[in-house]
Amino acid sequence: MDADRPPFEDLYRDYLGRIYAYVRAQVSTSADAEDITAHVFMNAYQAYGRFEARNTSPAAWLFRIARNATTDHFRAHGRRERLRRTIEHQPVAQDDPARMAEERMQYRALLEHVARLPQRQRESIALRHSGLSFEEVGVLMSCTEDAAKMLYHRGLRSLRDAVHKEGA
Amino acid sequence: MSEDEDLELQSLQRQLDDAFQTTRPRPDFEDELWLRMQARRPIWRRLRDALAALVDSVREAPAVPSAAVAIALILIVGAGILAVGLHPGPAGTATSLQAGSNTDRSATYGPNAPAPVPAPKFAAPAQGPTTASAGVADQSVHAYPNNIYLGPATLTWTGHLDVTATALPVFRYQEPTPAAAIAFAASVGARPSGDVAPGGLGAYAGDNFTLVLTGSVAQPAVEPSYKLSDLKSAPAAAGSDPVAAALARLAAHNLVPAWSYRTLVQTTGDTVQVKFLRSFDLQAQGQAGVVDGLGSPYGIEVDLSTVGTGSFETGPLPLSLASVDYPIISADQAIRSALASSAQSTGAAPYPVVRLTTAELVYKLVWAGDHSFYEPAFLFWGQFTDHGTTYVKRVLVPAIAPSLLSP
Repeated sequence: MDADRPPFEDLYRDYLGRIYAYVRAQVSTSADAEDITAHVFMNAYQAYGRFEARNTSPAAWLFRIARNATTDHFRAHGRRERLRRTIEHQPVAQDDPARMAEERMQYRALLEHVARLPQRQRESIALRHSGLSFEEVGVLMSCTEDAAKMLYHRGLRSLRDAVHKEGA
Repeated sequence: MSEDEDLELQSLQRQLDDAFQTTRPRPDFEDELWLRMQARRPIWRRLRDALAALVDSVREAPAVPSAAVAIALILIVGAGILAVGLHPGPAGTATSLQAGSNTDRSATYGPNAPAPVPAPKFAAPAQGPTTASAGVADQSVHAYPNNIYLGPATLTWTGHLDVTATALPVFRYQEPTPAAAIAFAASVGARPSGDVAPGGLGAYAGDNFTLVLTGSVAQPAVEPSYKLSDLKSAPAAAGSDPVAAALARLAAHNLVPAWSYRTLVQTTGDTVQVKFLRSFDLQAQGQAGVVDGLGSPYGIEVDLSTVGTGSFETGPLPLSLASVDYPIISADQAIRSALASSAQSTGAAPYPVVRLTTAELVYKLVWAGDHSFYEPAFLFWGQFTDHGTTYVKRVLVPAIAPSLLSP
């Protein structure tokens, strides 16, 4: 075991909730969020032997996997659904078929607005509020720290406008 | 940016912080996912961990999977059910931790009249609807559906339940002592090799294998169990009978189950899993499978590698069981009880409508402190489909007459 590398159990305990929240803020159902989160940790578990702590932080490593998994999810499943919602002007589904009421989610409406933001704005907000620095957000999104800040603030204003519009 | 706008954005940021910090998966998800990950671990990694556990003395089990041991045996990852068979079970091949046969119907416990016992129930269900994945769906083995729905549902019954018995045995075991655990390990050919972890019954080592014993777990209820990692056993030969190979592995350690079982064989990558699903022989009433906290059968699992050396065996410790016959409810009462758990939908979130189509007699472990019970119960189930996904809804009804169930 790499001396710098914490046991995977520690990562799992520390990051499961954060990764779930990051994913959940972007997808419409808790079932999808569970599937993607499971995929993230399954992959991370298998790849942990190759993780090198001196190159990146565990958080940045896990969120990179999560970002890729979420992107894959939208690529595979999301396009048609988002198109349908756009056409029908329907809100994001309130919950999944199993109605997982146990999910702890107090700001559902706010996160639904986040989920509707343009992809890069949405990602910048989700990564930033998952606890990453702007530098880490920039690295993950393949842009500079300043560009990440700009994207984030643009997303924040879009979010405020969306909330206002709904309240109007 | 105006000061008002600035304040407004700051407020929004605080709300986002709260939103991300309070959005968490349902409580069971953490344990379920951890178990899925463990089930997918290559066999060599399990063996390596077992060895490391001994080198480092007994490691305290990670807290992550704390509440999910019971469903470990039902989590099946991969594909390829090869065989399902029924076996009457050889007698007395495993060494019991206590004197007497493993299912000693002549032994009784307590007073002659049956005393109230706690009711069997599924693993603590979420207050709201939730689901669990039990692995690969296979219609021939209803026990392992892909999606088990644990939430409320509006229930109907269209099946047929035939119960001729008016009384059934409740089996009880006493929690094994550390001395009994050492004796069991000796019968397997292992010696103590580390400190005893809290809740554990010790770690042991034999020639090229390690053995870890644990006591009962309260919630979800799990009986005392063993995990044996055989570090040197030869890989399963291609084309060989996996059940025979698994039995040979168990026989090498005197662990062939003394109880009746069905076998279930699955392949996952380079690992062949052979499960010996436990059942009680109820004579005229037939076999009743033992189910876990999700209603899925379990027993001994033997993982064989097809490419490298090593095997992994886990299962309940052979315990001496005493029994007392308890009066049971009728089929009609059982059906009424099952339907009594039906939930009426609220307008905003309609519950799924499930037609229960099948019911069977099963046994469920009920933890009760320094002793625990295997109690009879009726397991009802049916399927429903929502948004293209098929779910299985299960309902567990205690078979023991309500007057003999403690509150």
